[in-house]
Amino acid sequence: MSKLWLVALNEYKRNVFKKSFILALLSVPLMVGFTVGLGLIMTSLEENDAPVGYVDYAGFLENPLPAPVDRSDKPIEFIPYKTESEARQALEAEEIQAYYVLASDFGETSQVELLYLKEPGRNATQQFYDFIQINLLRDQPPEIARRVTVRSEVTIRSPDGSLEFPAGGPALGNFLPMLIGVAFVFLLMMSSGYLMAGVVEEKENRVMEVLVTSISPPQLIAGKVLGIVAISLTQLAAWILVGILAVIVGGDVLGIEWFQNPSINWGAVFYMIAIAVPAYVLASALMFALGATVAEAQEGQSLGAVFFMLHMIPLYMLVILIENPNGTISIMLSLLPFTSILTVGFRSMFAVIPMWQIALSVVIQTLCALGALWLAASVFRLGMLRYGQRLRLAEIIRNRSTAITKASLS
Amino acid sequence: MNPIEVSHVAKSFGATQAVADVSFEVHRGEIFGLLGPNGAGKTTTIRLILDIFKPEKGTVSILDGPMTEAKKDRIGYMPEDRGLYQDIALDRCLIYLGTLKGLSKVEALKRLEGYLERFDLADHRKKKVEELSKGMQQKAQIINTVLHHPELIIIDEPFTALDPINTQLVKDLMQELRNQGTTIIMSTHQMHQVEELCDRIVLIDEGRDVLYGNLETIRRQYSGNAVLVRTAGELPSVAGAEIVRQHNGTFKLMLAEGTSPQDVLSGLMAQEVLLEKFEIAIPSVSEIFIRVVEEGDK
Repeated sequence: MSKLWLVALNEYKRNVFKKSFILALLSVPLMVGFTVGLGLIMTSLEENDAPVGYVDYAGFLENPLPAPVDRSDKPIEFIPYKTESEARQALEAEEIQAYYVLASDFGETSQVELLYLKEPGRNATQQFYDFIQINLLRDQPPEIARRVTVRSEVTIRSPDGSLEFPAGGPALGNFLPMLIGVAFVFLLMMSSGYLMAGVVEEKENRVMEVLVTSISPPQLIAGKVLGIVAISLTQLAAWILVGILAVIVGGDVLGIEWFQNPSINWGAVFYMIAIAVPAYVLASALMFALGATVAEAQEGQSLGAVFFMLHMIPLYMLVILIENPNGTISIMLSLLPFTSILTVGFRSMFAVIPMWQIALSVVIQTLCALGALWLAASVFRLGMLRYGQRLRLAEIIRNRSTAITKASLS
Repeated sequence: MNPIEVSHVAKSFGATQAVADVSFEVHRGEIFGLLGPNGAGKTTTIRLILDIFKPEKGTVSILDGPMTEAKKDRIGYMPEDRGLYQDIALDRCLIYLGTLKGLSKVEALKRLEGYLERFDLADHRKKKVEELSKGMQQKAQIINTVLHHPELIIIDEPFTALDPINTQLVKDLMQELRNQGTTIIMSTHQMHQVEELCDRIVLIDEGRDVLYGNLETIRRQYSGNAVLVRTAGELPSVAGAEIVRQHNGTFKLMLAEGTSPQDVLSGLMAQEVLLEKFEIAIPSVSEIFIRVVEEGDK
């Protein structure tokens, strides 16, 4: 095995089998699962599938039509009672969760009275509303009755057809570019942090001296970056697996419509990856350079936090991105290094991003990534063995210019 | 060609001139001492030899020419203090570093078994390096340096944190390697170890080589300003000589400038002193070190 792969493998093993990595790996699905689970619990707490009674003094619900029910909802049983005392008895015996009273003048007032001991489930009140509505429309032609009951169905579509918000709210696919952006930034921050911490540690414990007398610096850098890429791919694979599992469980087992029809825009997925890859190399190279520059790990972490803040700028500007996704600030943030990936992810939810902006962003990220690799290689040699001393920017520039002069003279 | 030839190298970091002008050669199969006070430029010189730093002036030849990637597998280097991953098991760390020196994993493991036994570390092989004592870590570093059987070893302070038994173990290993033809450069502050092990030395002070050559020749060069005398009776005073030490009846006399050992001997003979021993004192490396560095300071 070549030394480059040995370094990559060692980097991978050293980080992946750490408790902190496993914790970080599980943290995102756990966090998402917890949030979704909490939402489901809150929703289920607001629902009650017990029967609902009604007393119809108006005779409006004799031989009623059944209430139209969504596929994902369980139909509620509506039990008629002749008198309020019968209904009240049933309520107190917990046979029903609530009962409605339709007064004899219901035809004029359209008012109903709801009686309960504990607030009834939202699903129950909604289904009773639909029950009343469908019976109010019983004399209308079926298509009109249906049109009224299913309410408005508005699909928002961009003129070129590349962006579509289906009726009933955005699909999973609408969120995907943003999710990719967030996942990449999270991965990037975490893995480039590993890289920097590893370099600082090797510098501190002088393993770096042993390494550079065994392997060339370019091989060492390439091996480490490869190892970090492998770590990130492991994380990504784990998250994708969890995502697929969530879609399968949510769609097929729980019958959640949102997961059944994810409507993925593969074009957006492609351009997000095209921006993310050079952005990843840029961040990794800068963190490597930082690790070689600083005197100790704590200093590196402080400076690394600045990089993380830069990536977070689109989050602070989220309101502007939503209100004006094609404005100057949105376009600028889409092109600039560090902010591009999240901005494009957010904008993709609300607007069609012109292809020239995507292409320009990829070019800018790639040029910056190459520049960062050049800087990392320069800084590494100068700073790798400066124990207890930080490498200054002026020194890097001076040494680079000296090296260039020497090279041009030779 | 010699395994190492350093010619007038210089290196600075910002305003600090770490190495100003250092030249020396290391012969094949010898233990060569790289000596000097703290901050003299020894470590920078080692890093220049190993091509970790590029010299601003001068040239370095290592194993017959400039450093190449292939040559790195023929060199063993032990930096002063640490040099091992702290958070992984000892055997995993040494096997990984061994494979980076061109050994297969199987071969690295096979060789490691022997060295761990020899250095009494076999029972600690699964412990994380950070869990080992300083002495054990030092032995582990030495194993890492020699595991791939290099033909050139550069070793910085090999005896740090070692007890007398382990010190002897390392000394035996170094002598064994020298006998097998391995060239060793040793940087240390322990002058008695230099006296015992080194064939030749270079002394660096303030970035310059101030003393260089065969150790015995140097010691003889620096002898002559002291004599060891033992007499049957009392030792009378002798002009131009001052008693500085007495040990087991033997006096060490330091000679004033212009006084030769022959002058002292004549003086004693003239006083009809019955001599049991008269010997020109050979200075220790430590004494030479102090003298040269102090002269440099003046």
